[in-house]
Amino acid sequence: MGIQEQYRSEAAALLSSGEVKLVIGFGAGSTADRRRPLFARTPEEAEKFVLDAACIANLSTYLVAEGLLSDGKKVGVFLKPDGIRSVNILISEAQLKPEQVVILGYAIENGKDVVPLEGCNISDFSIGEKIRSHTPPTHVIEAAEKIEAMSAEERFEFWKEEFAKCIKCYACRQVCPMCYCRRCIVDVNQPQWVSTSSHTLGNFEWNLVRAFHLAGRCAACGACDRACPVNIPLRLVNYRMGKEVRSAFDYVAGENSDQKPVLASFKQDDPETFIL
Amino acid sequence: MIYSPFPMRVVSKRQEAPGVNTLKLEFVKQEDHEFFKANYRTGMFGLYGVFGEGESTFCVASPETRKDYIECTFRQSGRVTSTLANTDAGDIVTFRGPYGNRFPIEQFEGKNLLFIAGGIALPPTRSVIWSCLDQREKYKNVTIVYGARTVADLVYKNELDDWKQRDDVRLVLTVDPGGETPDWQDHVGFVPTVLEQAAPSPENTIAVLCGPPIMIKFTLAALERLGFTAENVYTTLENRMKCGVGKCGRCNVGSVYICKEGPVFTAAEVQAMPQADL
Amino acid sequence: MTRILLRNKLDDCIAAWQKAGFSVLAPVKRHEMSSFGEVQKSGDMALDLILTERTIKDQFFPQTEPLIKYKIGKQQIDSETMTPPEKKRVFFGVRPCDASGLAIDDPLFGWDYKDDYWFRRRDNSVIVTIACAQADDFCMCTSVKLSPDSAKGADVLLRPLLEGSGWQIEVFTERGKALLEIVSSLLLEGNGHTFPLPQVPEKFDLEKVMAWLGDKENFESQFWKDIALRCVGCGSCTFLCPTCHCFDIQDEGDTYQGIRRKNWDSCSFALFTMHTSGHNPRNTQSTRWRQRIMHKFNYYRGKFGVNSCSGCGRCTRQCPVDMGITETLQAITNLPR
Repeated sequence: MGIQEQYRSEAAALLSSGEVKLVIGFGAGSTADRRRPLFARTPEEAEKFVLDAACIANLSTYLVAEGLLSDGKKVGVFLKPDGIRSVNILISEAQLKPEQVVILGYAIENGKDVVPLEGCNISDFSIGEKIRSHTPPTHVIEAAEKIEAMSAEERFEFWKEEFAKCIKCYACRQVCPMCYCRRCIVDVNQPQWVSTSSHTLGNFEWNLVRAFHLAGRCAACGACDRACPVNIPLRLVNYRMGKEVRSAFDYVAGENSDQKPVLASFKQDDPETFIL
Repeated sequence: MIYSPFPMRVVSKRQEAPGVNTLKLEFVKQEDHEFFKANYRTGMFGLYGVFGEGESTFCVASPETRKDYIECTFRQSGRVTSTLANTDAGDIVTFRGPYGNRFPIEQFEGKNLLFIAGGIALPPTRSVIWSCLDQREKYKNVTIVYGARTVADLVYKNELDDWKQRDDVRLVLTVDPGGETPDWQDHVGFVPTVLEQAAPSPENTIAVLCGPPIMIKFTLAALERLGFTAENVYTTLENRMKCGVGKCGRCNVGSVYICKEGPVFTAAEVQAMPQADL
Repeated sequence: MTRILLRNKLDDCIAAWQKAGFSVLAPVKRHEMSSFGEVQKSGDMALDLILTERTIKDQFFPQTEPLIKYKIGKQQIDSETMTPPEKKRVFFGVRPCDASGLAIDDPLFGWDYKDDYWFRRRDNSVIVTIACAQADDFCMCTSVKLSPDSAKGADVLLRPLLEGSGWQIEVFTERGKALLEIVSSLLLEGNGHTFPLPQVPEKFDLEKVMAWLGDKENFESQFWKDIALRCVGCGSCTFLCPTCHCFDIQDEGDTYQGIRRKNWDSCSFALFTMHTSGHNPRNTQSTRWRQRIMHKFNYYRGKFGVNSCSGCGRCTRQCPVDMGITETLQAITNLPR
């Protein structure tokens, strides 16, 4: 039995036993190479699940959808390691109860092979090597290194051009599992902290606010980057922030659900290099 | 240019109820005033603004029979209304309008008029009331049913006294149970109930009904029981608006653009709208 | 006898139009994004793209547009209305769906109150459409009764010649005629073999869809909840749509001065319709998605006699969760009668 059939029947079993009210996975998309989120409420619907190397979206973002888990019932969800890291972060930030999430874990190896991840509760994944490995794709590292090699002026110019493209559609925010605020800071108007206009300054404000809010919280899933309709390389921003956090605090977000949110907790031996 | 407002000078400010103020505004420029005088009819609305804060939509509360100034009454709740509430006489604010449709009051001539309003919804009703009372001879019996949550929440208290004194107006005042003060002489009860007790005749009568959605719903049912047809009941709808002129896309209920085809509708027209979109 | 514009004369055309006071805008690819931008020579153009990622709408209804400049003094407030640039522009290489989008939005910006910001730009622009030679899986112009060579919204339509050497010219408006007059000495007389139009299959039954949407019984159908379940509520489908026109008006500045702006807004956003009281007539993503579909294929048609969709397919093409107009209208088409 291939992994797709195996996971379909696991999902169907979860639904028919009544253990979960819903399984969030992938279905066929509008073209041969696309997959789309699929919500199955019955074992029959679970037969439509697809699991292959094109299933790259981070479905954990639906776990923080308004009202989804408020009835206390369990939800099953197909997650790759980045999705599992996201769930860990959400739990550590008290946005999810671990017992409400049943994980159908899988990993994509070499960009083509789908392999199962053992376990179903979030605690099963906390120390797994596949979760810990935090290496983004080579092209991301290369692109990041290219930017790091630039002078400050060149770097500013690069990001100015990139952020100038932003149209403030907020797709980056909406697909991000960490952007769960019911009212985002940019939607607050008393006072108006961030200008709503999508001009270069307003776009800088938005993208920097988001970068800082994700520092030490980003699961590096790349969802924002893929969602951006104007192709801003957003994951480079988050990659860099993650690197800073790692070097300052030896912390990688989402390794397990017992982690304390790094920028929301204090340790006596925290470095104080930022104090001038 | 479209979207460019008229500068307006605040003549006076009056507190009506906790958090509710009336501003009396006069035009700074003669030509703007002429435009207003030529176009304003009762029921129309405007966008009131303060540069630096934005614009907010509400009705013109003054009648079409008094166009030397604009009065607006609003609850202080958001960014713009809070700033408007903090203006003083002499300050400059802005007005964009008048927009929308109107109450067809010439069609009301020779008829009895029944005005029903709840809470902060008296201002749009008041515009029609005075437009009719200023030409009192054209209309038959005038009944006003007005209710608020508490005595303090009643707006236009001076005018309520005035209407009470007049013998050509029947005023029925009420406050919600628990909202009365020890010296309260009028009704205690919800508007629909008090309306049914007052039992105005539907014969040759036009009803004008303004209030929060829940009050509208129950009052319409009460009016139906009294024998009113939905075609003879008028109301105004309010939705969030930004342009006021049918472009920005947010105020529609189903296919109806409130800013252009409204804000005044008959109850029959409102009932034809998708209720889930209200 | 029709006329032909040769590709190797395009640089001379650009120069001639510029000399006549026009800016020339065309599809360009810059910083990994394709959009309409000013060009100086044909080499700057990206004419082989099926479609630019950004629409031509941006050039008439920018994402942020200054309306009024204001200064707040102690005793008085000065305000000054800002107007869009009046520069004459040629848009070269517009796709038929994008040009149609402009024509679809004209009545909206024109009904009763004329939006000067839109029309000043419209009146100073000439649209040169190039018929499509290729389509992708997301194109759906035929489904909304347009075509890869639709002339809607175009002043001039060019059909690519088979050998790639240029385009055959069709002129539709006085404005188009005047534009070609400027370059008449650069054009050839003659007929060439034009590239066959791409096959764009019809993806849904528009008549059936409009009938279903027009039935009031369906407004509160479970269909809307199911189809919109995975919508994440971003605004990318609306912002990349050639016909979506919703906007917000915002003041932006400091205590002493600022600018009132007209900014894109989206019916996908919860805040779009939320009252100050907290009441929100469209308080779920499914009601917001329903609004988008109803607006495009029912309300807009009722007001202006045309559907507010030109079939470009961008909504699906870039949706992070693979939704879009096509899927929804296909699903309606497939509903049991």
